[in-house]
Amino acid sequence: MIARALEQEGIATTLTTWNAGRTRVTAPPRATFTKLNRGSTIGAPHNTEQQLRILRATLALLEQDAPIEPVKLDEEMDDVNG
Amino acid sequence: MDIIENHDEWVKTYTENWLAHYHETGETNWKIYNRPNNKIAPSGKAVNLKEAKLILISSAGSYMPDSQDSYDAENDLGDYSIRMIPTDTAYDKLAFAHTHYDHTAVDMDTQVLIPTGHLQDLVDAGEIDSLTSNYISFMGYQPNAAQVVDETIPAIIEAAKAEGATAALLVPS
Repeated sequence: MIARALEQEGIATTLTTWNAGRTRVTAPPRATFTKLNRGSTIGAPHNTEQQLRILRATLALLEQDAPIEPVKLDEEMDDVNG
Repeated sequence: MDIIENHDEWVKTYTENWLAHYHETGETNWKIYNRPNNKIAPSGKAVNLKEAKLILISSAGSYMPDSQDSYDAENDLGDYSIRMIPTDTAYDKLAFAHTHYDHTAVDMDTQVLIPTGHLQDLVDAGEIDSLTSNYISFMGYQPNAAQVVDETIPAIIEAAKAEGATAALLVPS
């Protein structure tokens, strides 16, 4: 809902979430969906490579006109932290 | 475009079901909670990241305990307020008040929910022009979606504009 309001004010938005089901029904303008866990939205703790992959993929959506279909990322918790 | 499609119908159903049950019993019964269900995504223009001033918007319940009030995290009816936090705040100056997610990961590594360090690295690498001076924080347990529309969202919009943001990264917890 926040994304919808900001887009109407001319501020481009993007988001990433582990909760595709709950987010899809809000009809976000740009989003990535991961298989991470609640509380680890950007990636597993201390997995800097994964966190940066998710951030770059999510931010890259800002360079497309909205709305776009949410993008599924094959990102999940690693063995140590999952 | 309405923020909640069928807004009035949502309010009626929420008030007569989930909220009425809560007032009668003190229970939060999610089986009778009507989540907002939008059909149409908004349109919006693309931005060039290398020219963008990015604001982080986090629902993780972060705040600065030395200078800010906590959120009313124990309130079954939610907390609809926001906090502005300097984007360069050291992670050991942050606390989290949110009782609806496991804090194990964020206690290990704050960047799993507040990735300001990574975002600054992307700015330093020239991938993003700049970050706003402050990011927006709130506690994302907010069952009254209409109150979010009436209180939280206007505060967020005002803050994002005051920060001069041209783009926003939303990070739910």
